[in-house]
Amino acid sequence: MKTNKLITKILLLAAVGCLNTNISSAQDEPENPNAELSKQVTALKPGESNFMMAGLVTFGFENHATTFKSGGIKISTDKSNSIGDVDRYEFSPMFLWRHGDKLLAEFEPSWDGSQIGVNWADVSYFVAPGFIVRGGYIVLPFGTYTKRLAAGWINKLPSDPMGVDMAGSDFGVEVQGGFPIGNMKWSYDLALSNGFQLNNDGTIAGVGISAINNGKTFTGRVALLPLSNSSLEIGFSGLYGSLATPQDATFSNIDPTNTKGPNLSMYAVDVNFIQNINPIQLNFKAQYSAAMVNNMNYINPIDTSSYTFTNTTSTYFAQLSLRPVQLKNKILKKFELAFRYVNYTAPKQSAWGQNYSEVDMSLDYWLSWRTVLKLGYEMINSDGTSIHNLNSPELLNGTSLGTNRMVIQFSTEL
Amino acid sequence: MKITSSKNITSIILVCFALFGVLATNGCVGSQKIADKSGMKLWSENCQRCHIASSSNTFSHEEWKTIGMHMQSRALLTNKERDKIIEFLQN
Repeated sequence: MKTNKLITKILLLAAVGCLNTNISSAQDEPENPNAELSKQVTALKPGESNFMMAGLVTFGFENHATTFKSGGIKISTDKSNSIGDVDRYEFSPMFLWRHGDKLLAEFEPSWDGSQIGVNWADVSYFVAPGFIVRGGYIVLPFGTYTKRLAAGWINKLPSDPMGVDMAGSDFGVEVQGGFPIGNMKWSYDLALSNGFQLNNDGTIAGVGISAINNGKTFTGRVALLPLSNSSLEIGFSGLYGSLATPQDATFSNIDPTNTKGPNLSMYAVDVNFIQNINPIQLNFKAQYSAAMVNNMNYINPIDTSSYTFTNTTSTYFAQLSLRPVQLKNKILKKFELAFRYVNYTAPKQSAWGQNYSEVDMSLDYWLSWRTVLKLGYEMINSDGTSIHNLNSPELLNGTSLGTNRMVIQFSTEL
Repeated sequence: MKITSSKNITSIILVCFALFGVLATNGCVGSQKIADKSGMKLWSENCQRCHIASSSNTFSHEEWKTIGMHMQSRALLTNKERDKIIEFLQN
């Protein structure tokens, strides 16, 4: 009996307690002014994934006059212009998917006015501080131009330096990272990729996703930023790999007893320096790169004779730009003046032999930090050093090509 | 002769990579001066190495995280630099 009474009391107390709780909750609701705001914030909770689209557009007008000389005598002059700028037009959306703070997928297709290509399509895993692993179609870590500076809204001049894209993109895996050392920093970027094949004229081309040889190509860059404000960066790059031999190859080893295929060695040095000298911000960029392939015997398609040449291609550029960032005048501080010298040397006596030089200058106006209007002028000279070339007679030894080009270019990153 | 020359260059490059490897395995510790740098300072120093430093209102809070990871892999920033720059741009 006593037990029943005790249970009844407990139940009554519990019921009163519940009632009190409900009443106090009902009383709290109107007193909590943040409840609705809290609901709205919860609805906007971003989650751990993010997808975004950025990208760039480069568009312009180009007018040029090209003079073809043979033996020092003017043979012809070609003058033309194009809206859209046939050599530099680019429409490249960039898609980025992020999963938490560890995974990032990147895809950048690109239309150049005639065909759609892909600049990169890869996935990165941020394993640990200073250790990122990437796989897919990657930009090879050779020099800095292709990976960092080629975008029209970053490039301070309208065109890219000749031959600077020698390595380009490839299917492979990559590890990279950056570390501090005292007041300095250093970084590494290493890749293993499918590599290249040797063409019948001695040029090289990527083998794509289906490698036709077992050899892989190693590419790497290490860089040092010796100043505490990161204003100076010096990078050293190397690339080494065996070259695939296509099924229709007509070239052969100079030593017939040598059964090894051709190899490719490349190296590059790059420098970037930025300094504020009131009221000017000065930026100097330079890169030298060279590519070497074993000497082979090639077949001249014109008369089927055999020939060989030293297959070394080199290119360098040096660029200086000045921007009056500390001027008080809001219009003048948005201008930038840039100069660049480019030199490209293709192998003498090859089908594409030439000594090429280019002087560029550009007056840029920055509409925003990522939108620029450029007025550029380029003076190009190319002396042919080829001994046979039916398709490009301007490359034959003793001929030269001189071009003066004016470019108005708009480029933006969205 | 040229092949020998290219082998020498390849050897030099490998030695450079090995040297940097030794530096890495001996511990990469930044100085206090570097550790004390603010996000704004790092944003100013690092972004302008390639392009004009970005404006903070360009992207949303979440998009800056994505852009930060993308840029870290381009400019090879350290994790601390990336996090401080993102935090600065998000505010």
